[in-house]
Amino acid sequence: MPLPIPPILSYALRRLFQAVPVVILIMIGTFLLLKLAPGDTVDALVGDMGGADAAFIERLRIEYGLDQPVWVQLWRYMSKLAMFDFGWSFVYEQPVSRILMDRLGTTLLLMATSLSVAFTIGIFLGAIAARRAYSTTDNLISTLGLIFYATPSFFLSLMMILLFSVKLGWLPVGGIKTITGFYTGWDHVVDVARHLIMPTAALSLIYLSFYLRLMRASVLEVAELDYVRTARAKGAGESRLMVHHIMRNALLPVVTLLGLQFSTVLGGSVVVETIFTLPGLGQLAYQSVIQRDMNTLMGIIFLCSIIVVVVNFLTDLLYARLDSRIKLT
Amino acid sequence: MTTAATDLPPPEPSRPVVLWRRFRRNRAALLGLFLFTLVVGMALTAGLIEPNDPLRRAGVPLTAPFANWDTPLGTDQLGRDILAMLFYGARISLLVGVVATLISIGIGIVIGALSGYFGGWVDDVLMRITEAFQTIPSFVLLLTLVAILGSKIEWIALAIGIVSWTAPARMVRAEFMALRNREFVDAARNLGVSNTAMIFKEIMPNAIPPIIVYASVVMALSILLESALAFLALGDPNYASWGNMIGQGRAVLRTAWYCAAIPGIAIVLTVLSFSLLGEGLNDALNPRQKK
Amino acid sequence: MTKAQNLLYATAVGCMGLSLTANPVQAQEEVKRGGTAVIHMISEQRTLNPALRASTGVYNISGKIMEPLIDKTYDGYVPVLATEWSSSDDGKQITVKLREGVKWHDGEDFTCDDVAFTAMEMWKELLNYSSSLQANLESVDCPDPHTALFNYSEPMPLDLFVAAMPDLGHPAPKHLYEGTDILKNDHNTAPVGTGPFKFVEYERGQYVLAERNEDYWREGYPYLDRIVWRFIKDKSAAAAALEAGEIHESGFIGVSMADVERLSNDDRFDVGTKGYENNVAHSTVEFNHRNPILADVNVRRAIHHGLDVDFAIQNIMRGFAKPGRGPVPSVGGANYTDDVTTYPYDVELAKKMLDDAGYPVKDDGFRFKLRHRPAPWGEYTQLWGEYFAQAMKAIDIDVELLNNDAPGFLNGVYRDHDFDTANGWHQFRSDPAVSTMVWLRSGLPEGSPWTNQFGWKSEEIDQMIDDAASELDPEKRAGMYHEIQRRAMDELPVIFAIEHPFISVTSKKLMNHHNTPRWNSSSWYDLWLNE
Repeated sequence: MPLPIPPILSYALRRLFQAVPVVILIMIGTFLLLKLAPGDTVDALVGDMGGADAAFIERLRIEYGLDQPVWVQLWRYMSKLAMFDFGWSFVYEQPVSRILMDRLGTTLLLMATSLSVAFTIGIFLGAIAARRAYSTTDNLISTLGLIFYATPSFFLSLMMILLFSVKLGWLPVGGIKTITGFYTGWDHVVDVARHLIMPTAALSLIYLSFYLRLMRASVLEVAELDYVRTARAKGAGESRLMVHHIMRNALLPVVTLLGLQFSTVLGGSVVVETIFTLPGLGQLAYQSVIQRDMNTLMGIIFLCSIIVVVVNFLTDLLYARLDSRIKLT
Repeated sequence: MTTAATDLPPPEPSRPVVLWRRFRRNRAALLGLFLFTLVVGMALTAGLIEPNDPLRRAGVPLTAPFANWDTPLGTDQLGRDILAMLFYGARISLLVGVVATLISIGIGIVIGALSGYFGGWVDDVLMRITEAFQTIPSFVLLLTLVAILGSKIEWIALAIGIVSWTAPARMVRAEFMALRNREFVDAARNLGVSNTAMIFKEIMPNAIPPIIVYASVVMALSILLESALAFLALGDPNYASWGNMIGQGRAVLRTAWYCAAIPGIAIVLTVLSFSLLGEGLNDALNPRQKK
Repeated sequence: MTKAQNLLYATAVGCMGLSLTANPVQAQEEVKRGGTAVIHMISEQRTLNPALRASTGVYNISGKIMEPLIDKTYDGYVPVLATEWSSSDDGKQITVKLREGVKWHDGEDFTCDDVAFTAMEMWKELLNYSSSLQANLESVDCPDPHTALFNYSEPMPLDLFVAAMPDLGHPAPKHLYEGTDILKNDHNTAPVGTGPFKFVEYERGQYVLAERNEDYWREGYPYLDRIVWRFIKDKSAAAAALEAGEIHESGFIGVSMADVERLSNDDRFDVGTKGYENNVAHSTVEFNHRNPILADVNVRRAIHHGLDVDFAIQNIMRGFAKPGRGPVPSVGGANYTDDVTTYPYDVELAKKMLDDAGYPVKDDGFRFKLRHRPAPWGEYTQLWGEYFAQAMKAIDIDVELLNNDAPGFLNGVYRDHDFDTANGWHQFRSDPAVSTMVWLRSGLPEGSPWTNQFGWKSEEIDQMIDDAASELDPEKRAGMYHEIQRRAMDELPVIFAIEHPFISVTSKKLMNHHNTPRWNSSSWYDLWLNE
């Protein structure tokens, strides 16, 4: 295999290196941004408690270091972060690293299922639409995809809950598992899967249309390229052409999108996680903002940056691999 | 797509006509145009439906649709006329959409153009900033901005613009990178055209089509984002917005479904119209994808 | 109880006369043991240690795991971890006898050392509301393992002490806290107590699980095997979970008012306000008296006349409420009077009063503009804020709603005072002295939420509040509160527009539910599941 490994690695490493200032920029920006918001975490906490006396409030502020100037707080935070110490969440009374580890699994699971469902169905429908470009089938598929996109996910989620949980009693209303089921092994997998069906459906329908449209456009474009024409002229069958020549090339931009979408999906999962009470990072991020839980929000953003950097890195590698195969054809 | 210098035979139709012909070949796009016209029509005639205040108490609360012709689509928990709110909501949706789009594309064009035209360290710095914005989950950034600014409709539109400029920036940058070394740009540069003139007069017009298509995406997105904010009770309660209507309607979803369903359908159709319109424009402006 | 029942909770007892007594077993049903009760919680709990955080959300969970010295039932105050209590003649020492043979969930004995440690290190230092109550606590002595002597520098009324204990008197295990950073101790979120249920796990964002304590000191209790508290933020999803049978109880109005009304007609559920006698709330309209327009009492009265309170009760609270009559609600017992000025809904009168006050309609169609901050407490509070704007526009007052999240709202009203009017709901905690008087008393430190930050100051009323708080004769004291109530309704520093109770939706499968006045906070040792 003439895989050009060294250039890819050096390219990828360069990207990694470039990511460092971006991450620092993000962290400082987020910190200052949240500091601009009115009220702090003590306000949120005291509000939650139903009130407290003034001395108590003052004591909390000192305890949490919120009496210090913003620059001191920022410096303290960043110097801890440099040692990968995410600090303490005053809202959850736990180290942020532990909260993040607790939540990351759910979010990754939800994203993995949603994106793979959206991706698989999206490229499948997209390819069909492209094959029959501008036909009724194409119009139907494209419009359907857009309707999915246009339906607010919370609306869809509530409707699904009403139908599948309340009326039919097929699926659990929310949560990630049956709490008192104490399932193990395969039963546990089935149980979690049942809990993930509706949230996955709600989240994947949004992204389905992206993949569908991109795949359609991409196939149409590739189909016009010379090598495909050549192959066709040589008498290659349409389905063989689709799979071997068009798909592979058309997948490139789709894969790129997959890499770029991690953050978008995390944002999109805020609402879905809230409705289905899934203990993921999206819901946690929203709560952290309205609780002014600085350390937790910063932790999420940092984690997110790292994941995006890593996913981009992997996408680069994947891209290079797909690309090189194409060059071989 | 060529400049005027080429000799064209006289009967060649004008550019708008060409575009329209390409556009209307896509039937879905025509549906989009129809729905879009409808929404604009609603926004324009809102004042005729309810000359005063769409949020006033207009009837008995939770009147079902078609039960009373004073409030043909029924009323919500506070007796507000759903029809009137729906029409005024079209205004808000379009307003948020247009303002957010202008902001998003404005920032996008400036950053993308500077980055793509100058390249080098300017490009490096601006692209790092763009990456930073792309890395932060945009909805989380939106929530943070709304937490800072409060839920005024102007601020919501601004915030949506701020979280959605990275895509147009990258688009414009790519276009500039591709164009800046082309012959016509070189020619203009040799003639001593200034950077500003070069950017705006020579390169920009070529970058416009994909941006117009993207504008429809931001329009659609901004309506969805506004409704998601309202769902989280972070909408602007001073205006009848579809998002607010659904947000409050879901409390009575089981007993008065219409409070949430009617604005819900309005959102789906409007977002759909922008998306279809975008597809049609894409076909019209980027004919190279066509058979 | 012999002495004047001043302060905390005292009056609530008075109105409990007709309530049922807590019967451990309902006659017609035979108790079934076992099963898991699933309880809805709207919000996540940051800490589960009731000795560090006084809030109903914490008690709702931890009240089953950690017990207070004294609890309150419909029969009055009853011993839990304490067995007897008495006070010295000078009122500076309170003696509490502790229950013997009680063990912490980890097997250690519960002794006076635990009480002394918790009182000095947590109740006095770190517990909200309690730190001012225990400000004069100097030491707690332990002459023997089951006697605690609370020493105060100033007299501490025994009744006040006792009344505070159900909420502010949860001992924590000294052996797990001593020598640690108390606020960061892991047991704050994994509590070890003496209660009928043992903490098992707390999955953040999902649930808390507790299981039966086999060694519970009440022989034969509890009945349930497990309790699960599920966090469901979205009220519609919570209603769906109730109907799908996934949760058994949702308290503190955990579903939308429309769903409360709907489920009250569903024979699978008990819907009611029983068990919240300690918790009643007012939906309010608050004025910023720094605004010269609102400083005019006639403007405030006109605004009240412009509010159709009955409309709001029917359409926002779905009938589960009544019009407010000032700072003491109708469940306030002897301290309540309805002999006060009221402001019936009358748009024309309101307009005329505003004209007379010197605020005619101007060219833009409005008299003046109010910047209103609605509290972001969701559903009915949000609607009440929007109703206020709607009602004010009908009397030609322009209202701009400034919507913020919770910290933004609290900051805007209570610290920056950047508002003209605001709305929210506020809890009445059994006695005006420890709850609603903070709405009228001036001189409270800036930035404390839910206190008078409205710029309202009346030296006369301040004096009346202070006098009533230290008055020991219950009859005189009630008379003083009636007077304060009348003054508050005359001058309307705050409009206590709607009095509404909290509401629970409970599956009929739960037995012995809501059988104490602070049921959601109590230990549920006698709760059982009929399925």
